[in-house]
Amino acid sequence: MDLLKVENLSKSFGALWAVNSVSFSVAEGEIVGLIGPNGSGKSTVFHLITGLLRANKGKISYQGKDITRFKPYQVSRSGIARTFQIVRPFPEMTTLKNVMVGRAFGSSSARSMHDTEDDARRLLDLTGLADKVSATAGHLGLVYRKKLELARALATKPRLLLLDEVMAGLNPTEMMETVEFLKGLRNTGVTMIVVEHVIKALFSMTDRVVVLNAGEKIAEGTPHEISRNEEVIKVYLGDYEHA
Amino acid sequence: MEFAQYITYGVINGSLYALVAIGLALIMGIMGIFNIAQGSLAMIAAYGSVLFFQHMKIDPFVSLALTLPGMFLVGVFMYLTMFMSMNKFDPGQKLRNSMLVSFGLVLIMETLATILWTANERTVTTAYSGTVMALGDLRIPYTGIATIILAIVVIFGLHFFLKHTTFGKSIWAVSQDHDCAMLMGINVKRTTLVAFGLGIALSAFAGAVVSLHTVSPAVGIDWTNKALILIVLAGVGSINGILFAGLLLGIVEALGVYLVGVHYTGVVGLLIFIIVLMLRPQGLFVRKAGV
Amino acid sequence: MVERKKGLVLAAAVIVALALVPFFTVREYVFSILCMLFLYVTLSQSWNILGGYTGQINVGQAAFFGMGALVARLLWVAGVPFYLSILAGGLGSVILAIIIGLPALKLRGHYFAIGTLAVATIAQITVGNILPGISFLPAQQMATYSLIPRYYVFLIIMAAALAVIYFTVNSRVGLGMEATRDDEEAAQMVGVNTFKYKMIAFLISSFFAGLAGGGFAYFNASYYWYLPFTLMWCFEPILIVFIGGVGSFLGPVIGSVCYVLLKELFALTLGEANLLIFGIVFILTILFFPKGVIGLPAKLRQLFYRRGNVVGR
Repeated sequence: MDLLKVENLSKSFGALWAVNSVSFSVAEGEIVGLIGPNGSGKSTVFHLITGLLRANKGKISYQGKDITRFKPYQVSRSGIARTFQIVRPFPEMTTLKNVMVGRAFGSSSARSMHDTEDDARRLLDLTGLADKVSATAGHLGLVYRKKLELARALATKPRLLLLDEVMAGLNPTEMMETVEFLKGLRNTGVTMIVVEHVIKALFSMTDRVVVLNAGEKIAEGTPHEISRNEEVIKVYLGDYEHA
Repeated sequence: MEFAQYITYGVINGSLYALVAIGLALIMGIMGIFNIAQGSLAMIAAYGSVLFFQHMKIDPFVSLALTLPGMFLVGVFMYLTMFMSMNKFDPGQKLRNSMLVSFGLVLIMETLATILWTANERTVTTAYSGTVMALGDLRIPYTGIATIILAIVVIFGLHFFLKHTTFGKSIWAVSQDHDCAMLMGINVKRTTLVAFGLGIALSAFAGAVVSLHTVSPAVGIDWTNKALILIVLAGVGSINGILFAGLLLGIVEALGVYLVGVHYTGVVGLLIFIIVLMLRPQGLFVRKAGV
Repeated sequence: MVERKKGLVLAAAVIVALALVPFFTVREYVFSILCMLFLYVTLSQSWNILGGYTGQINVGQAAFFGMGALVARLLWVAGVPFYLSILAGGLGSVILAIIIGLPALKLRGHYFAIGTLAVATIAQITVGNILPGISFLPAQQMATYSLIPRYYVFLIIMAAALAVIYFTVNSRVGLGMEATRDDEEAAQMVGVNTFKYKMIAFLISSFFAGLAGGGFAYFNASYYWYLPFTLMWCFEPILIVFIGGVGSFLGPVIGSVCYVLLKELFALTLGEANLLIFGIVFILTILFFPKGVIGLPAKLRQLFYRRGNVVGR
């Protein structure tokens, strides 16, 4: 069964259709890549799924339930988490508290504050932030903030995780580590939609790729198929090589 | 006919509210600075008018030639010492910090006014104070007519200035896109400084009118309150809307006085404020919600 | 965890010690200073849970303080037992908070500040219009007036406010509040219903502000009805919280001690001008010491660190 199903999703800002009649679905356990040139509507799709923006048309179902009109916190509680392209940890709170918020709310909250803290510490270990536990999040470097945002999203115990450019700004080694980390995460039962500019890393972990251009879906297939799709090469990969 | 008389007073009061609010609207809409002290500045300006009248017999409308530049300089001083340093913050923090700092200014100005001029109410009594124009049974004070004309001229004048003069357009440009304006060769620092000074200077118009009614140190925060309600009614960023919002509040308050008595005037204002927040939080005179 | 327990034991010891003060002194001056201290701790801590922990700036705390005072005084003078009157005052403030909070807290940014300021100025003027005179205690209550029960009322209100707010901010609810303050959208994205936590903070805040107002109504033999609604009651809690340290639990306590002591000192020497000093101190705090006295050691360390270590991080 599809975990997430997006049908004819459309969103306009004034006269501009940022997302125009996009449909795709994600099966349980998949990693689906979402690619496209800048401004093609990837982040808008994430905003629509997570309820930060309201769709003009179309339907989003999750586990067979219509979540199109859900508020962001309801989306989170039903088991969808995301990271932001420009990271947004809670700047005045410590690293530990940031993750505790995710653990205390999210889709299945821990029973007590004690458990919340234990779980949060475990997640910080897992994401390589163990030595930053009591640092103020706003003072961390970018790489750490990215890790923190991922840890916070995972703390909500998502079944579906939307990742918006988690690899931007990482060096090749860190990128490899992240790919391995996400693959391992998938093995624990987390389904993912990944927006990424680093195509090589993306293709190495995704089962399927959806390509957007100017708000419309222009292709969908396995990484192998997409890398041979003429239109995709023209509008996206070609464009990317020039850049 | 009594009813029409109430409405007339509502229109006059509403024009005055709009005069107090216009500077606040300009500074908030264009610079993202939330200046709670605007009404207190109008109060200080009004004392200026009172003093010029008492000591030199200068009519409040004439002494605008002195109070306007005076308040402009006060604005420049405020900006350079306090508000300029807030440009480094994100919009939410800037709004919060400017609000807190200006709240401190309210206290300082109110205390200062009490020390300098006592807590007693003062007023300017000119030859034309209390004289009225009779239109049938309707009696319209000449000061009221002056208030309405002043409000219309100032607000539409400001609108014209922002939309159709080079300097006004550069103020708009800076408010829309700070970096882009800089690239276009606009002196951003000077433009923001002058815009802030202008916003504060506008309080002198309100001050001149207020001086013809009554001034006391405590009225400042009350004027600010009216101004803030207008901002919400008009919608942040709306300049022309302020006049209509002022008239709306003034008339509704007058109706409130007519129906439930003068003690509850403020409560009526609060009620429309709450209703607008619930039904149309982006304001009545703005087409789309600013995100 | 161990440190937290130590802190709680210490706090309980301080409260008990304060409860014993009347057994050691009968000096009225000591009692009235301590009563004011307890009042300011309650009022500023109640502001802090909403402004400091949840990020919603209430510039009209006087409305909630005043409402508590008004309701409690009216009922008490009419013969209702005092403990019921003061609770009713707290509830009156909560109702006022619901009326303002429902529309204003749904929106972001300046709406809440405008709403609270509007309700405060309007309440002050309206109360001044309807009850222009002075509220005197009936002769019978006047005859039995004593500072000792007032002292205990303020102490109990303060202890209750501190306990409730402490356990709230250190719970799951507190996490939701702080997340709401730092980034509303990001908070919603991890499942926090931000409106709900803003509302909870506002209700707790207004309830204790109302109780503090009730304490004021109990403490003062006679005062103008509008007095607890005046601008000062809006300004003082904000001033205290920022001087002490906004968004920290001890900040308002430290701020209150500083404020009450300085106020005594200045009021004697400067008269009305002391408010000017506080206004200037407040603005300087916002501009240069945003974390207040609590943040001072860190700020100094930071300055020292920068001087001593040019390379930095």
